[in-house]
Amino acid sequence: MNLRGGWALIKRTWAMWMQQRSFFFLLAFGWMIPPLVYLFVWSTAAGEATVGGLSRGEFVAYYLVLVLVNQLTYSQTNWTVGDVIRYGGMNALLLRPLSPVFDALSTEIAGKVVYMIFVIPVTVVLAVILRPEIQVTLTSALAFIPALALAWALRFLWGYWVALLAFWAARADALLTLQDALIFLLGGQVAPTALLPGLLRQVSWALPFRYMLAFPVEVLSGQVQGADLALGFAVQATWLAVATILFVVLWRNGVKHYSAVGG
Amino acid sequence: MDAQIVVRDLSKTYRVPERAPGLAASVKSLFRRTYRDVEAVREISFTVEAGEMVGFIGPNGAGKTTTLKMLSGLLHPTAGEARVLEYRPWERKQAYLRRISMVLGNKSQMMWDIPPLDSFAVLGEIYGVSPAEQKQTLDELVDLLEMEELLSKPVRNFSLGERMKCELVAGLLHRPDVMYLDEPTLGLDVTMQARLRRFLAEYNRRSGVTIILTSHYMADVVALCERVILIHHGSLLYDGALRGLADRLAPFKLIRVSLGGGQGTDAEIALPEGTEVVERENGRLVLRVGRAEAPATTARLLQTLPVVDLAVEDPPIEAVIDQIYQEGNV
Repeated sequence: MNLRGGWALIKRTWAMWMQQRSFFFLLAFGWMIPPLVYLFVWSTAAGEATVGGLSRGEFVAYYLVLVLVNQLTYSQTNWTVGDVIRYGGMNALLLRPLSPVFDALSTEIAGKVVYMIFVIPVTVVLAVILRPEIQVTLTSALAFIPALALAWALRFLWGYWVALLAFWAARADALLTLQDALIFLLGGQVAPTALLPGLLRQVSWALPFRYMLAFPVEVLSGQVQGADLALGFAVQATWLAVATILFVVLWRNGVKHYSAVGG
Repeated sequence: MDAQIVVRDLSKTYRVPERAPGLAASVKSLFRRTYRDVEAVREISFTVEAGEMVGFIGPNGAGKTTTLKMLSGLLHPTAGEARVLEYRPWERKQAYLRRISMVLGNKSQMMWDIPPLDSFAVLGEIYGVSPAEQKQTLDELVDLLEMEELLSKPVRNFSLGERMKCELVAGLLHRPDVMYLDEPTLGLDVTMQARLRRFLAEYNRRSGVTIILTSHYMADVVALCERVILIHHGSLLYDGALRGLADRLAPFKLIRVSLGGGQGTDAEIALPEGTEVVERENGRLVLRVGRAEAPATTARLLQTLPVVDLAVEDPPIEAVIDQIYQEGNV
């Protein structure tokens, strides 16, 4: 581990991005749109009553938190790792005494800071206008932090192992599109997972996608508690372990394959 | 002096998927792929001493870059062994990577949007160079390359030559013991090529860094490398002094003669036996003779022809190299 080098990379990327922040603000704006659309759909549907036990104000709260969590867990580098491999950029990274994963990590960490500068004020303004209803307890606030951290790690590593398939197949990023679609459907974007019909709900609770996005939101807003909370963390941690193993195995074999065929 | 780079019977064979052109063939290749083995490097062996500057030459596709990639750890060899600074390169140990450097003429280490100084600082941190050392090395390199004014401009606006200067600084900031340079002067103008050559020679002399360099510009190799390794079709054809290569490959000399008295345009000049006319123009002749016969032939020419001017030369190195590239043997 070369933490000193990794930290330098993060600082550099951050400095670089701050130079072009308006571009990243636009990107962040684009990512905010789908959750905001569903915020309006569901809060309108709820009207003065409730849908699936959630009131208008609770839908607003759910989606505003989801906007923040989505920005914090979205791993944009998953889309660029494949290109770096395909177009030979991996050579320069492999020559350094620093694991290339730091390059992606530095972009992620630097990116979050830049996006938050834009997303937090926008969310605050929306909250003032749309009046969310949320009761955050100390327990849910404390549980939210690890749930969010694990969600980010899971989403990052899951996308990273998928992207590493580029070592063998030229268009592995098609699988990333599938991942995004599944997060959209089963990860709590199109609807809170509790509102999904029977079998689909069970599928969404078993697959990793809910734990990349909806789970921390549900934790903060108190939708999952007690035994469900513990179970949720267990499933999330299990999927993270699976993603880590897949990442390590694919990374080792990928580099071996790469150095066998030449970049 | 001890050997820093030891290469024994190193080979690399690529498996390349192969298919005929056309739609039918591409559909067929979906189900059954055929492969062809391409031997990029075949059982090459050599050693390089500390501080040496060796030129890797050979035509495109000879296996030069493949060999450099194996030595820098980017490629696993198919067979054979190599030790650089006592490390096996392709194990890619961090301790090894910290002591080498590879500069690729067509790939960049620099970040486009920020001034080079910032890129250098990050590289310094990645290689674990202390700020004081970084500053000292940077000052020295910037001074040698005369690039003070470049340090605060974004790399995006640089010319090719300016960017190459930065690549060299980036590659030397951690003071590597071994440096691989792949086509460092590619696409540069003559002045910039000469500038970089002077820099490399001076830096090698000062720091004692071991350098393996590939280039298609023979001028680079002539100026920098006393020793050359010639690779062709993946095999090592020659390893030794550049001078010796010419002697071995081109066992002849060129005699340039200018004739007076309006002679030389016609064919009736009596030339000594074994002499070949390479060029003939307005009373000027270029003749090719065997090395051993050169003195006798010169004497004969001076006796028999109205010579105004005469010079005996070695054939240009480019011509020698071109001959090997085309004939494929030494």
